[in-house]
Amino acid sequence: MGSLLIDNVTKSFGETNILKGINIDIQDGEFLILVGPSGCGKSTLMNIIAGLEDATSGTLELAGKDVTLASPKDRDIAMVFQSYALYPTMNVARNISFGLEMRKVPKEERDRIVDEVAKLLQIDHLLDRKPSQLSGGQRQRVAMGRALARSPRVFLFDEPLSNLDAKLRVEMRTEIKKLHKRLGTTIVYVTHDQIEAMTLADRIAVMKDGIVQQLGTPDEIYNNPANMFVAGFMGSPPMNFIEVEVEDGQAIVESAGETHPLKLPCAEAIAAKGLNRVVLGIRPEMITEPKPAPEDQDWLHSMSLDFDVVEPMGADTMAIGQWNGVDIHSRLSPKAGMTAGKGTEIQVNTAKAVAFDIQTGERIC
Amino acid sequence: MSVSKAKKPMTLESILPKIVLAPTTAVMLVCMYGFMIWTGALSFTKSRMLPQWDFVGFDQYAKLFSNPRWDVALNNLVVFGVLFIAVSLLLGLFLAILLDQKIRLEGTLRTIYLYPMAVSFVVTGTAWKWILNPGLGLEKLVRDLGFENFEFRWLVEQDMAIYTIVIAAVWQSSGFVMAMFLAGLRGVDDSLIKAAEIDGASKMKAYWYVILPILRPVFFSAIVILSHIAIKSFDLVQALTGGGPGYASDLPANFMYTYAFNRAQMGVGASSAMIMLMGVLAIIVPYLYSELRGGKNGR
Amino acid sequence: MVANRSFNIGRLFIYACLAAFALFYLAPLYVMLTTSFKDIEEIRSGNLLALPQDPTLYAWIKAWSSACTGSECQGLAPFFMNSVKIVVPAVIISTVIGALNGYVLSKWRFRGSDLMFGMLLFGCFIPFQVILLPMARLLAELGLANTVTGLVLVHVIYGVAFTTLFFRNFYVSVPTELVKAAQLDGASFFQIFRHIFLPVSLPIFTVTIIWQFTQIWNDFLFGVVYSGPGTQPITVALNNLVNTSMGGKEYNVDMAAAVIAALPTLLVYIFAGKYFVRGLTAGAVKG
Ligand SMILES: Nc1ncnc2c1ncn2[C@@H]1O[C@H](COP(=O)(O)OP(=O)(O)OP(=O)(O)O)[C@@H](O)[C@H]1O
Ligand SMILES: [Mg+2]
Repeated sequence: MGSLLIDNVTKSFGETNILKGINIDIQDGEFLILVGPSGCGKSTLMNIIAGLEDATSGTLELAGKDVTLASPKDRDIAMVFQSYALYPTMNVARNISFGLEMRKVPKEERDRIVDEVAKLLQIDHLLDRKPSQLSGGQRQRVAMGRALARSPRVFLFDEPLSNLDAKLRVEMRTEIKKLHKRLGTTIVYVTHDQIEAMTLADRIAVMKDGIVQQLGTPDEIYNNPANMFVAGFMGSPPMNFIEVEVEDGQAIVESAGETHPLKLPCAEAIAAKGLNRVVLGIRPEMITEPKPAPEDQDWLHSMSLDFDVVEPMGADTMAIGQWNGVDIHSRLSPKAGMTAGKGTEIQVNTAKAVAFDIQTGERIC
Repeated sequence: MSVSKAKKPMTLESILPKIVLAPTTAVMLVCMYGFMIWTGALSFTKSRMLPQWDFVGFDQYAKLFSNPRWDVALNNLVVFGVLFIAVSLLLGLFLAILLDQKIRLEGTLRTIYLYPMAVSFVVTGTAWKWILNPGLGLEKLVRDLGFENFEFRWLVEQDMAIYTIVIAAVWQSSGFVMAMFLAGLRGVDDSLIKAAEIDGASKMKAYWYVILPILRPVFFSAIVILSHIAIKSFDLVQALTGGGPGYASDLPANFMYTYAFNRAQMGVGASSAMIMLMGVLAIIVPYLYSELRGGKNGR
Repeated sequence: MVANRSFNIGRLFIYACLAAFALFYLAPLYVMLTTSFKDIEEIRSGNLLALPQDPTLYAWIKAWSSACTGSECQGLAPFFMNSVKIVVPAVIISTVIGALNGYVLSKWRFRGSDLMFGMLLFGCFIPFQVILLPMARLLAELGLANTVTGLVLVHVIYGVAFTTLFFRNFYVSVPTELVKAAQLDGASFFQIFRHIFLPVSLPIFTVTIIWQFTQIWNDFLFGVVYSGPGTQPITVALNNLVNTSMGGKEYNVDMAAAVIAALPTLLVYIFAGKYFVRGLTAGAVKG
């Protein structure tokens, strides 16, 4: 029972509006991820959900009950902080059980829960230690243990893994995913890490300047971004943006001194709007070495491209060339053995290419 | 924006912080700021034994500044203040630099230099009163060494008594200045001196051109603190010279005390207190201003 | 080796200077102690720096129990007790209030709390001469003139500015996330203070208590203005003792009395010097 309805929530500190009307409807058991550039108000929103700060306006419903004015301890929400915020003078066991103690859970019950949680997170050998005697990963586990112990209705994670090194981060990511599968508790999770976002989320909310730009499944966010901001934010390297002329429903690009008309999936929409210049958006993995494609051959275009830089990255190779004088990234197979140089033959697949309005940045189709 | 903000119900828990702070706030408003205003108002009345509220404008201030005793007290404050601050700074800095040379027993020496700070000014005054005593103190000591005609009677000389206060005050406070500078020096990167020495500067020059400029904020703080001590100095004078001989070594604080409490001249006492307040403000306000601003930038 | 020799001479000079100044700082303490063990005859005939030929406790006993401080001749003992009676409650009360204030001012800020802190900070600097007269008036109104309770009150009122400053600056460095985490764990305002803040506060309590103890024990101004016969703190009694000359000056008694008055704070300094110095820097530099 942990559905969460965020209804038109705003927040201002003095004169500055940090959140400008946030609407998110989170299902019971859903894993929602908040992403967005630094300072866009993610932590502020988390604090409001937790009740640590009051919304300036709007309402918050938890399991169908209005909790906008409820104090944090009455909301039954647990939070894991980026800094972990473990109580420095208490040992691990007490850190985990403190919330139960404050809620007057009897001692035997508390001990039992601590035990259970510690086993689950494999920190049972650390129970007597102080936080200062733990490694980063262990602290992270204790912080999660503290949140788990109370079996809250909603978990909030504010960049929980960003203080860990890359390897641990991957490990913990998997564990969090397993945990969510197992417990089925609603989770709202802030991250800067795209892979975290793509792999963990049921749905992703992309925020910018206190506004939710798009709310959707990872697939929707990736393949059907609502605007240039979302398209550019998700994906690494980001989607290529090229300003192009549109003629007869085809985008004209200039590559290695030749012009090529590229077939667009949304020629009608562009025509309907009467536009003849748009921003073409195309992901790097759609620009590859020539290879047989099972799909409709209509979307495939061959051309030559001058590669300025080629960066082998192991699983694939990034190469940078230019279209219309703008840098574009392409993702090649290392097997193709491409090197920097002029006139390399490539293949462009425009089946998933998108077009944005030059003025507004909104996606046309 | 049509949604109006729902008012959070006022619970005890939500106003606890205010409740906790309320008594201090009230007492502070009354006993610091209220009293300051009260004293200020009093300084414009002709109160003597008891406060009375006939306002006489700046009469008390006029009286104050035509009072030769106040004149002496102000002069003394200048002499005392300048010497006390200058000597304490130089001595404190000198000792701090010496102690910064990787000295054995540094901890012990620091403890010795700083212990006078733990002792009250009254004790300091009492001790120095005995040491500087014309008959049996330092004078006799030097004479016993064979200098039959040696004279050292500052304590009972009109013109010199104020300098004995300087000596005792420097003895008490210079260790503290040392501690401040030492802390400052410890914050300076060692390699800076080495770099300067490699550039061909002597150790002296390295300190003068490289380290001292870095310690500027410490100088600033030390001067503010020392002048604050100087303006408020009261106990030391009371214990060491009693303001004497006559009133030759009075400082403003002693003047204020004498007029307000022994001579039943409240108006004059209040006006002298206000002048002291002005003096402190003139030093503190710019200091606090720069501190707070600096703090904001720093963080 | 030339370089090495000049190096040694330089070091020698440094050590000589340091030693000379150590003597300068120690001299008064040495003189106080030696004088206090001499009899008056030896003081007249001998010199300042000589060790006592024939150490006697006469001066100490007299200073403690029978020296005259004005018209009374009961020694310092009763005044020592007065100081204890003033210092203990004043230190405890002002420290507790300061801790709570600091907690609010650092972690529960509200509109106006920063202003309040600024005003309090400023209050640390005002010369007490500005509040002496009205405070005397207030104490009289409350019936606390010339009482130990009155002095406790005055010390608490003007000490809270410092204790608050100390605690606030200490608690600011406690991560705010801890407060948030504890709130989510269901802890209340006071529970958070009790379980999260108190356990980390030992150093700041030590610093504050030592600071307040030294300040109040060594206070003379409030003592001389607001005490009456019988309630004077030791600093005032010492000053009276030294300035009462009935039947000839007894420097040995003066010195014994001075050492007695200085002893408590000196002991604190010797045993907790680190915290004392921390208090000095915190209290002086920032306030
Ligand atoms: N108490 C406050 N008073 C004033 N402004 C605040 C306060 N708290 C946050 N802000 C401002 O609100 C904005 C959003 O802050 P928030 O911490 O929510 O960002 P964020 O999206 O979590 O960023 P990050 O990714 O860096 O954690 C920031 O510009 C911040 O400066
Ligand atoms: Mg954040």
